[in-house]
Amino acid sequence: MGYFANVGAAFAAVFTPVNLMFIFGGMVMGMIIGCIPGLSVTLGIILFLPLTYGIKDASTAIIALLAVYVGGMYGGSISAITLNTPGTNSAIATTFDGYPLAKKGRVLQALDTSLFASSFGGIVGALLLLLLAAPIAVLVAKFTSVEYFSMAILGISLLAGVSGNSLPKGIMSGLFGILLASVGVDSVTGVARFTFGISILQFGIDMLPAMIALVALKQVVGKLAEYKVKGGDMGDATAIDKRGLSIKEAVSILPTTLLSTMIASFIGAMPGVGGGVAQFLCYNQAKQISKHPEKFGKGSLEGIAAAESSNNAVVGSAMIPLMTMGIPGDGVTALLLGAFILHGMQPGPNMFTKQALQAYTIIVGCLVANLFLWPLGKVLTRLVAKVVQVRYTYLAPAIILFCFAGAFAGTGNFKEIIFCAALLVFSYLLKLMEIDAIPMLLGLILADIMESNFVTAMMSYNRDYLIFFKRPISLIILIITVLLVGSMIRINKKVDALNAKQEEEISKMHEEIDASAANV
Amino acid sequence: MKKVIKIKTNLLAGIVMGVFSILMMFAIPSQVRLPMWDSGAPSPRIIPGICLVGMLICSLVLLFQSLVLKKEHVYEFVWENERPELILILAMILFVIGIHFLGFIPSGILVFCWMQWFEGERKPAIYIYTIAMVIIVFFLFKNVFHISLPAGLLEFIM
Repeated sequence: MGYFANVGAAFAAVFTPVNLMFIFGGMVMGMIIGCIPGLSVTLGIILFLPLTYGIKDASTAIIALLAVYVGGMYGGSISAITLNTPGTNSAIATTFDGYPLAKKGRVLQALDTSLFASSFGGIVGALLLLLLAAPIAVLVAKFTSVEYFSMAILGISLLAGVSGNSLPKGIMSGLFGILLASVGVDSVTGVARFTFGISILQFGIDMLPAMIALVALKQVVGKLAEYKVKGGDMGDATAIDKRGLSIKEAVSILPTTLLSTMIASFIGAMPGVGGGVAQFLCYNQAKQISKHPEKFGKGSLEGIAAAESSNNAVVGSAMIPLMTMGIPGDGVTALLLGAFILHGMQPGPNMFTKQALQAYTIIVGCLVANLFLWPLGKVLTRLVAKVVQVRYTYLAPAIILFCFAGAFAGTGNFKEIIFCAALLVFSYLLKLMEIDAIPMLLGLILADIMESNFVTAMMSYNRDYLIFFKRPISLIILIITVLLVGSMIRINKKVDALNAKQEEEISKMHEEIDASAANV
Repeated sequence: MKKVIKIKTNLLAGIVMGVFSILMMFAIPSQVRLPMWDSGAPSPRIIPGICLVGMLICSLVLLFQSLVLKKEHVYEFVWENERPELILILAMILFVIGIHFLGFIPSGILVFCWMQWFEGERKPAIYIYTIAMVIIVFFLFKNVFHISLPAGLLEFIM
C-alpha cells in the first residue's frame, strides 16, 4: 500500500468506537493526572499501561497511552494557572503568566488560552509526525544491526547527557539500566547472569515493575511524604470565572502560537531535548518578538500561548525519532518505547514496512487525540480543575494499589511485586545520590535491542569489535553522538540559567501581585 | 532547630557505585559462566563487563570532581522531612510481605488504613473509602482485566 492508502486506512481504523473510547478515556485520565502537582505525565502513562494489556490491537493500546500524554500536557496547565504550581515540568513557564492572569480574576480566559494554544501546537506537531515519519523511515531503512547498535548508543547517551545535573551520573545510570537488564538467563547463549542463586532472578528484571517503582511509586510516596510534612496543606486554588477567550483575542495570539509551535516542533524532534527545554526557549522567543514584552510575567496571553503551544507540539514531534529510528526524545517517549516493546512492536523503519497500517494508525490516533483536545477541554476543564483540591490522601492509596496490581498484571507472578518494593528502596538511594532514574529505565528498555544487534553484528562480522567504527554510517552516528551530547549539555545549561533568571524575576512579580491582592 | 546533614552527592555516588562496580567485576567469573560450546556469538560477559567498566570510570570521574576539583552537588538531608518518606517506603515493603502471607485485600486494608492514620486523617469516611478502594481494585483486576491478584486468607471466598 502507498502512503495515502495507508493514511486513509489508518483514519478508518482510528474512527472505531473502541479506539475513540480509549482516546477519550486516556485524555481524561491524562488531564486528571497532569493537573495534580507532583504527579507527571509519565506516571499517567505507567498507570494506564497495565490497563492496556487486555487490548488485542497493539495500536489501540499505544493510541490510548498517547491520549494520556496529550491530555496530561494540557492538564499540567490547569494547576499552573489556578494554583501557581505546574502539574508537570512542561507547564512551569505557564505559571509565569497564567497565575497573574488568574489573580486578576480572569481564570477561564487563561485556561482557554492554554487550551487553544495546546490544541493548536498539538495538531501541528502531530501533522508534522504524519508528514515526516515515512520519509525519515525510508532514509534509515538501510540500517543493519551495526547501525542499530550505534543508534541505541546515541539514544542512551543523549538522554544520559541531558538528564539530571551531572553527565557522569547520567551515563552511570544508563549503564546500570543495561546491567540490570542483563540479569537472568541470556537468550543467546542460555547462560545465567548475576542470579546469585536467587530463583526469581533467573527470569530477569522486567521493565514494567522497574518503570512503576522508579517513576510512579517514587513520585507518589514522595508526594505523600511531602503532604505529611506540610500538615495536609493543599494551597488555595483560584475559582474559575465565566469570561473566556474571545475570537479577537484568539486571533491576536495566533502568530505567537504558530512561532512557538514551529520552534518546539523542531526542538522536540531532536532526541534528548523534550518539552521542558522547548517551553523556556519559546517563552523567551515570544517575549523578544512581542509588541508588548512589558506584559510578560504579568498575565500576558501571548506568554501562556507560547508556553502551552510548545509543550503540546513536542508530543507529536518527539514521536518522530521514536517511530522512525526507535530513539526516544525524552523520558515520556522512553516509556512509550517500553510500551511499544511490551505490546510486541519495535519502533523503527521496519515498522513502516512490516507494520505500516499499525504505524500510521498510531500517528493518526495521535492527531485525532489532539483534535479532540479542544472540545474535551472546553467541556471537562472545570470538572478536572476540582481534582486539584482533592485531598492527596484520597488519591494516593488508589494510585499505589494500581501500581502494585499493574506490576503484578505484567506476568501474573508475585516476583514483580517484590521487584517493585526493592526498586522503590533503590530509588530512595538514587535520590540521596542525585542520580536520575530515567536514563536507567532507558538502558533497561533498550538493552535487549542493543545486545541482540550487538550479537548479530559480531556474528555477521566475525567478532570484529571495530566494525562499529569501520562502517561509515555507524561511524557518523557515533560521531554525532559525541557532538550532540556536548552541544545538548551546553544548550541545557544555557536554558537552565535563563530559566533560573526568568523564574526569579517572575516569582518576585508574583509576590508583588499576591501582596497587592492581600491589601485589597 | 532542624538538623541538616549535607550529603556530597558526587562523593557518595562515586564511592557507592565505584565499590559496587568493582564487587560486580569480581563476581563476573562466578556469576556469568562461559558457554560450554562456541556458537560464534560474543561472550555473555561482554555487555555486563563494558557496563561495569563504564560505571567504574564514571565513579572515578565523580570522585575526581569531588575530591580534586571540589565540584559538588549537595543534598540537604533533614531527618524530619525524610522520616515520613522512609516510613512510607517501609509501609510499602510491609504491604508486599502482607500480600504474600495475608493476600491483597487484608494486607491492603491494614497498610492503607494505617497510612491514612499516619497522614493525620481521622474522619471515618476516608477509612471507608480506603477499604472500598482496595476491594474495588482487587475485583476490577479480577473481573475486568482477568488477572487474579493474590487472595491469601480470603482465597476460600474469592
